[in-house]
Amino acid sequence: MEAVWADIPLEHFLVLSGMLFCIGVYGVLSRRNAILVLMSVELMLNAVSINMVAFAVYTAPTLFIGIIFTVFIIAIAAAEVGLALGVVLRVFRNRGTANVDEVSALKW
Amino acid sequence: MTLLFFYVMAGTILAGALGVVLVRNTVYAALFLIMSLLGVAGLYILLSSEFLALVQVLVYGGAVMVLLVFALMLTRVHELDKKMSGDQWPLGAVAALALLGAFIGMWTQTDWPRDPDQVTLVPFATIGDALFNRWSVPFEIVSLVLLVALAGAIIIAMQEEGER
Amino acid sequence: MDDAWLLPAIPVAAFVILLLTSQYLPRRGDWVAIIGMAAAFAIVFPIGKDVADAIGAGEFHGSARSWQWLEIPGYIEIRMGTFVDQITLVMLFCVTLVALLVMIYSTGYMHGDRRYGWFYAVISLFVASMLGLVLADNLLLLYFSWELVGLCSMLLIGYYNDRQSAAEAAKKAFVTTRIGDVGLLIGIIILFTQTGTFNIGEILHAAEAGDIQREWLTAAAVCVLAGAVGKSAQFPLHVWLPDAMEGPTPVSALIHAATMVVAGVYLVARMLPLFEVVRGMPELITALGLTTTMLAAFMGLAQRDIKRVVAYSTLNSLGLMFVALGSGAVGAAMLYLFAHAFFKALLFLASGSVIHATEEQEVDKLGGLWGKLPLTAPAFVIGALAMAGLVPLSGFWAKDEILVGVDHGHLTPIVLWTLIVSLPITALYMTRVVMLTFFGEPKDHHVHEHAHESAPVMTMPLLLLAVLAVVSGFVVFEGVGEALGFHSGWLGFIFNEAEGPHHFEVQWGLTILSVVLVVAGIVGGVWFWGGRAEPARRAGAFSPFFYRMFLNRFYFDEVYQFAIDKVVLAAGRVVAVFDRVVVNDTGVNGPGEATDFAASLGKRQQTGLLPNYALAIVVGIVVIAAVAFGYRG
Repeated sequence: MEAVWADIPLEHFLVLSGMLFCIGVYGVLSRRNAILVLMSVELMLNAVSINMVAFAVYTAPTLFIGIIFTVFIIAIAAAEVGLALGVVLRVFRNRGTANVDEVSALKW
Repeated sequence: MTLLFFYVMAGTILAGALGVVLVRNTVYAALFLIMSLLGVAGLYILLSSEFLALVQVLVYGGAVMVLLVFALMLTRVHELDKKMSGDQWPLGAVAALALLGAFIGMWTQTDWPRDPDQVTLVPFATIGDALFNRWSVPFEIVSLVLLVALAGAIIIAMQEEGER
Repeated sequence: MDDAWLLPAIPVAAFVILLLTSQYLPRRGDWVAIIGMAAAFAIVFPIGKDVADAIGAGEFHGSARSWQWLEIPGYIEIRMGTFVDQITLVMLFCVTLVALLVMIYSTGYMHGDRRYGWFYAVISLFVASMLGLVLADNLLLLYFSWELVGLCSMLLIGYYNDRQSAAEAAKKAFVTTRIGDVGLLIGIIILFTQTGTFNIGEILHAAEAGDIQREWLTAAAVCVLAGAVGKSAQFPLHVWLPDAMEGPTPVSALIHAATMVVAGVYLVARMLPLFEVVRGMPELITALGLTTTMLAAFMGLAQRDIKRVVAYSTLNSLGLMFVALGSGAVGAAMLYLFAHAFFKALLFLASGSVIHATEEQEVDKLGGLWGKLPLTAPAFVIGALAMAGLVPLSGFWAKDEILVGVDHGHLTPIVLWTLIVSLPITALYMTRVVMLTFFGEPKDHHVHEHAHESAPVMTMPLLLLAVLAVVSGFVVFEGVGEALGFHSGWLGFIFNEAEGPHHFEVQWGLTILSVVLVVAGIVGGVWFWGGRAEPARRAGAFSPFFYRMFLNRFYFDEVYQFAIDKVVLAAGRVVAVFDRVVVNDTGVNGPGEATDFAASLGKRQQTGLLPNYALAIVVGIVVIAAVAFGYRG
């Protein structure tokens, strides 16, 4: 795969990751089901990961710091999903719903 | 050739992502998410990071997705929700588009550096070596975070005494 | 003399012990207080011997000992300590002896009382604060003790706290003396700002040397005198003392004889050099004392309560002491104080014994008790005669000294003649109360039949005080003074012999006149109120106006009450409205309500809905990005 990306500019990856990120944001803001909200968060995390890897490859390929960071992001994402799903399950058991707009006890 | 591959992958990713945030059936949304994540793995291969591609497929496609689907199953209410989107979805759309506008403004105003000549495939061994030498402390911390998070998740989700 | 600090310390220790443990001690711990007081009384003797030796050895101007209390380096050092001289010694002797006898007497009088332990605890603190007051070498410590005396008097006057009138009397005593106390505090502050010290000796020295500005000195003297007037119940702050009868009778004895009202006399005596350099001050003191004496003498004529008559006689005596001080006759004033402590304690304890025996204190319901109370009645009569000033009882010598002192003083002769006029009136009302209580027909046969003599624990202090009331006046003679270990008689003791010819002298004219007047008063009293008391009734009917004036105490209380109701309370209501509306509603509640209102608007943004918060985050990011772009242009 020698120099296969030579004809793909860096901006392509950035635009892709930005669009993915905004789609994820829209999902977080509009979805009602908490698990779908979590999925949207995963989209945002992946957008960031793409960004990281692209930058690493295009600007400092010998250091590959971006790749290492992406590994960490994936690990943290796994932790976050596990924890968040635990919370969602608990909320569902207590309140009978997994919809984020039906849980609003923490207010005035 | 590679450009075409990139566009195919990009199309897959974006289509999957839109599916996640738009479809009404939650299980379909999960399948769309898998599609999107696999597309990202393809991009990693394009960026000559096979290791990441493998991790992406294993962790996301495997572990995370299984967790999500299990959660969907456990929190399923019998009748499907009439409304999948919250009341503020137009506002959310506007905000997301505004954010995209901010990104576009940033892209166009930045002179991106590029040094593609030196790009080489990073072998697994090198990454492993870096992870366990130079990045060993962050690595261990991440491991610890993962452990604590999973233990916490179990405790939170565990059935309490007297709970049905 | 250096161990004088032990005197107040021992009763304070007794107070603390009783306060904490009296419930668990046998007899509620009254013996703790009595032993403590006896120890304090015993300590007076070595101190007295030291003083006598020091006087004999030459010039003696008091012995001071002090410790550093507070220091702000480079600015001020405040020391506290004790100061012992002849005046102090007289006070120490009177206070400890009377307090000891009162405590012993109280074991009988207060027996079985609900708050017996508390009574002894407070009495101990009361005496301790009085001892601290007379021993203080600086005005700050003096003021501290002064306030403690006021506090303890309030607690003791209001001892029967389930009685409305006792609570009222305690409040009245506290508030009335407080008027004077504030004056004293202001005076102390003025003196401190002018001299930079609280030490009494240094202040007096500065005053005599003219180091204090005249205006400030006058203001300070008036303020300090106000304190003394309040505490010693001089006109016009005399109204609290008769009401202080609401306390247990031993407390009245203590207040009147030893621990409270003489504090003002002591203060004036101690600060006399300060008063004497202020023009008009001696005249003011004399005028106040004279007014008090005359008012009290007349008011005493018509009172029906046996304790109240004795209380007015105290006002009478205090007025005499102030007159003596105003004339500069410190020795005479202190002699009267000395004698007065014993015969007044005797009168109160004896009337307490009468009340204890009959459970009745209106003289209208007593009578014919002479045979029924074989010890109390003679004791009371001795006290009354001493008060009246019959030769050769102690009251006679003390009063005679005052008359001589006033005659020698530089004041107008009107003072002397007014005093002489008051003498037969004093004799008259003291005879009246004796006649109505112990002689004549019993007015209430039920009371009369149930009367019985009190227990020995109460009558023994009476007898001892009776003996002292008879003999304590003899200390004026040099021979008696020398027999007691001093180098001359009373006046030579109070004043250093080196300072001048302060020897006992008899002005035969005055003496004979006073004796004749006193005897006339007594005879008149016997004639008026003896038998079925017909002449008195006729006299009362003859001038009902004066009778009502005397009985109602010249309407002082009514006038003061009117002033309080119409002026003080009205002003208070205005202030209260200000406080309610401006301070409370606007100043305090206003910000609170404003916050509450703002919060009622602002709280709406906290919807509790997760998507709203997430939206806010995204909007925030967009705004920050827009701002950043704006800066980059």
